Amino acid sequence: MSRIFDLVMLALLISVALAVVRCRDLVAAAILFSGYSLVLCLLWQYRGAPDVAMTEAAVGAGVTTVLVLLAVSRTSRRER
Amino acid sequence: MNRLLASLATAAVGIPMLAGVAQLPRVGAPGAPVHTHVAAQYLAGSPDATGAENVVTGVLLNYRAFDTFGEVMIIFAALAAVLAVLSPVAEAIGMPKDQPSGTEHARHRRAPPVSPIVAFVLRLTAPFIIAFAVWMMLKGHLTPGGGFQGGAMIGALLILLSIMLERDNLWPRVPERLVRGLQAAAPLAFGVVALVGVGLTGAVLALPASPAGHGLRELMMLTLEAGIGIGGAAIILGLFLAIRGD
Repeated sequence: MSRIFDLVMLALLISVALAVVRCRDLVAAAILFSGYSLVLCLLWQYRGAPDVAMTEAAVGAGVTTVLVLLAVSRTSRRER
Repeated sequence: MNRLLASLATAAVGIPMLAGVAQLPRVGAPGAPVHTHVAAQYLAGSPDATGAENVVTGVLLNYRAFDTFGEVMIIFAALAAVLAVLSPVAEAIGMPKDQPSGTEHARHRRAPPVSPIVAFVLRLTAPFIIAFAVWMMLKGHLTPGGGFQGGAMIGALLILLSIMLERDNLWPRVPERLVRGLQAAAPLAFGVVALVGVGLTGAVLALPASPAGHGLRELMMLTLEAGIGIGGAAIILGLFLAIRGD
């Protein structure tokens, strides 16, 4: 069970990471990156590191997304 | 040509790294170097030696307090760098910074309205988020969490509140001096605790020994946690406001 969970989560992690890189819409990329942090947060928690999981959820999924969206809003939305 | 070069560079960096990862010991293997040095001592002695039931906090604030001090300074330096880079730019391109009416005009024009659903949910959950974050900050030595996590949570909430409250002109005007002080809260807390540690035990960032200085030790840890949390929240909000151009 633990192995299946690990594999599913890691597969999800890698596919979200690839989606972030391939996505041309920067707002969508920021949201996907937030999803990446969320998956990683679950993985940390599952691996017995609740402190790291909380930091990942608050900083990775929350604050970083806001700062990236803010930076995108001050430039252009599409990657050229 | 470029693609070929990029692929070659990626392979040149990636293959040695993957080879290195392949040689790492298995996660949790008892013979791995991380488990043979100080780890066992930390796990066994942390509650008594540091007063922190949560070993992670014991390591962060006591065994490795210097490292945590360094991390805190890095975050502080990040804010300083953003302010140093962005503030002159904002002034140079003529953003109406010192004219209150102009600023508000520009903001109202730029900002789309907040959805009533978002506003309602934020109003409903904000007190609970604050309570949870403060609890996490002050109980970090007993349960998972601590200053960093609680501070990041408060910072994220402050960002949301600043978006919503500014729309209704409810955002309080905080004096610049106080803002700078709050942003420096973490280094200041470390400074205070370091000085107290020198005075009591003769070593920088050392906490007094258990039975005699129990209450004081707890107070010093709480000072560190609160400083890290408040400083972290203020810095996160400061980064947001600086990048947005306030």
